[in-house]
Amino acid sequence: MAEKIDILGAAGAIAKGLGVTFKEMMSPTVTENYPDEPPKFEERFRGSHILQRDENGMEKCVACFLCAAACPADCIYIEAAENTETTRISGGERYAKVYNIDYNRCIFCGYCVEACPTDAITHGHGFELASYNTSTLIKRKEDMLAPVPPGAHAPVIAAEEAAAH
Amino acid sequence: MADPVKLTIDGREIHAAPGTLVIDAAKQNGIEVPAFCYYEGLTLQAACRMCLVEIEKTPKLQTACTVPVAEGMVVRTETPQVATARKYMLEFLLTNHPLDCPVCDKGGECELQDMTFRYGVGESRFTEEKVHTPEKQFSPVVFFDAPRCILCYRCVRVCDEGLGVKALGVINRGVVSEIAPNHGDHLECDECGACIDICPVGALTSGAYRYQTRPWEMTHVGTICTHCADGCKTTLGTRNDRILRGNNRDRSGVNGEFLCIKGRYGFDFYDHPERLQAPLLRVNGKLEEVSWAQALNAVAQKFNQTLADGGTFGVIGSNHTSNEENFYLQKFAREVLRTNHIDHHRTGDVVTLLDALSGKEGKLATVADLYERKAFLVLGADLALEHPLLSYQIRANYRHHQAHIYVVTPGAVREDHYSTVSLRGRDYASLRDKLKAESELVVLFDDSYKGDDVRKLVEFGESLGIPVKYIALVDYSNSRGAVDMGVAPELLPGYKPSGQPGMHYGEMRDANLGALWVVGANPLKNGAQRKAGFLVVQDMFLTETAQQADVVLPAASAYEKNGTVTNATGEVQRLKRGINTMGAKPDLEIMGFIAREMGAAAALGPWTPDAVFEQIRKNVRGYQVPLPVLMTGGAAQTMPVNGRIPVESRPDLVHSDHNGLFASGTLGRYSKVLNSVMESRLRR
Repeated sequence: MAEKIDILGAAGAIAKGLGVTFKEMMSPTVTENYPDEPPKFEERFRGSHILQRDENGMEKCVACFLCAAACPADCIYIEAAENTETTRISGGERYAKVYNIDYNRCIFCGYCVEACPTDAITHGHGFELASYNTSTLIKRKEDMLAPVPPGAHAPVIAAEEAAAH
Repeated sequence: MADPVKLTIDGREIHAAPGTLVIDAAKQNGIEVPAFCYYEGLTLQAACRMCLVEIEKTPKLQTACTVPVAEGMVVRTETPQVATARKYMLEFLLTNHPLDCPVCDKGGECELQDMTFRYGVGESRFTEEKVHTPEKQFSPVVFFDAPRCILCYRCVRVCDEGLGVKALGVINRGVVSEIAPNHGDHLECDECGACIDICPVGALTSGAYRYQTRPWEMTHVGTICTHCADGCKTTLGTRNDRILRGNNRDRSGVNGEFLCIKGRYGFDFYDHPERLQAPLLRVNGKLEEVSWAQALNAVAQKFNQTLADGGTFGVIGSNHTSNEENFYLQKFAREVLRTNHIDHHRTGDVVTLLDALSGKEGKLATVADLYERKAFLVLGADLALEHPLLSYQIRANYRHHQAHIYVVTPGAVREDHYSTVSLRGRDYASLRDKLKAESELVVLFDDSYKGDDVRKLVEFGESLGIPVKYIALVDYSNSRGAVDMGVAPELLPGYKPSGQPGMHYGEMRDANLGALWVVGANPLKNGAQRKAGFLVVQDMFLTETAQQADVVLPAASAYEKNGTVTNATGEVQRLKRGINTMGAKPDLEIMGFIAREMGAAAALGPWTPDAVFEQIRKNVRGYQVPLPVLMTGGAAQTMPVNGRIPVESRPDLVHSDHNGLFASGTLGRYSKVLNSVMESRLRR
């Protein structure tokens, strides 16, 4: 008698367990098929940075150094230069000639974005930063700049200076 | 001194000297009263209305910057009424002030920014459009952004009173009034940049520093300007081994906050494209870049060979190198090269002055004396152009203490405007009666008084029956130190006679020496041909002398090394390394390496600045200065001799370059800023 009860109890447990399995088979999945499919992000995910341009294609960054000042990891390096008649890079009086972020050090805290008075630096959704060589983790301005919006004129750069940019 | 006045500020009983302004009395006791237009040392303006305080028994708020303290006065600086007044004043100041702090050079060290954070309201009620006018360029080094200006008049006053130039003024009225330069659209002035430094906002900005960096990004290094002999401290703002600006806002050093164009902008020779960054060696008649090892080896070999062959050496030292380098160089020449042919370009007759003052204590004036003593006799020099700091001190003395100034110069000078007597020529003796009536006197003379003229002058001064102090004006940052350290054939360090014959500067240039070693000098600049069999030059640039050399060793500038220098008034101050320039080495290190290559380093001792300074302290009288003073950036006056100097002082060799504000010998040619201002062409 006791054996019959044991068998019924075991079968019941299996049925209950499989019940969960079959139920979950029918519901939508939570995991993603990365890297076979592109991952999905929350809107405010803090990935690698994007340096924004305005609607005219000018860089928004005016090299005020506030992001570098706010950065707790000290990973932002900037060299400023002045816009001239022949070389106009940003909307303000000056622009960042050099803008480097060292992703070895960046902790993706978002303080730089908070500090930026011109909304020039934002977090993008880039996260594939892993590398076997730390020197590739220092991203230059050119690596981070947003593309020139369609229909806008690219920044004016004098021919002789173009080589330097 | 009169009895102090008793008053109460914020409930605290305070004692202040009669005539003290309330704002100063508060500051002396650690109570902050914010102000823009009030500036210590300048006349009162009461334009900004930021310093309003409540004074009992006066119906309205008073400006603390114009009210002197009075017995029993009760002042309150933190009442709600005062706080409200400050808020509204800041709101007014910000009516037209653009909020472009992120791109403004002043951002981070702006007084308006600081005060708005501390005393202002977060929001403005003005919704009207701000007045906007485009930025103007007054000169290559001065830019003016009118909307940022809060019309505190500090720049106008510092230019008029501090510098005596009067190049800035205010035009128009009311909301459209703005600062204007003296020549309509541009400035013709000293280009000293004092207006930029003193501006509490970013209205006046520097053309050289413009948009380079932000204040908090720089490292600040206080060192001594390498141009004239006044010994101003300039605080270099450096970043990534680049000097971005020079100023002295902390008022340390003998100059307070004063700097001329050379101190504020003249550092820029260090990254001139022609700066030497690798040693050059003459191979098949042409100078070619080689490694340091090769170049040093070539010098050492040739020096040793010349020694072995019994050839003669000549050594020419510099007016710009540090005391340590001069001391080491003369020791090197006398002990290793066994020559007494060592000299430098003498620019003032210090030797005769010290000899004439033998046996008398405290006869050398300091820079501070120029602000404190009661009467001055200026002989020969156009101080405002050749010695801007000394001129500034005397001018400030005249404004604050009504000092009497007697000028005896060949031509008209700026001091004429406020001198008691101005004479053209050299007849200072006719001032005897007037000078006798003074209570004390400081005499400044340039290279037109040398030898017996100096003795007569000292005799004249001592016969007046009043305390008299002297300054022998010299040209360059360490002209005085070079004599003190014995870079002269007749003198050992500390003015001891060498007792051996030796060639002087000109003789060495024209003699057929075995080897000539030139450290930081340009003896062949007037197209002379070299005569020496072997010529080694240590310099920053390929000067006329370096072009004819066999070996050129790239030297570091004064901003790239540690050490000490002695200014015209005999005050020794410390150089601090601000930056490193790739390829160049300090002269002391170069000499040390040559000694090591020659196998003679042990005899000369270690070649670090500190170790050599210890030797100077042991060997040169008067240089036993308190080290804490020196290490903390102070100035200590030296009196390296007090007794007869039994040598022929050779006044005939004394010759000043008379550099004006926009020239600085060979070095000045390589400064972009000094050559970019239009005055450098107009006044040459």
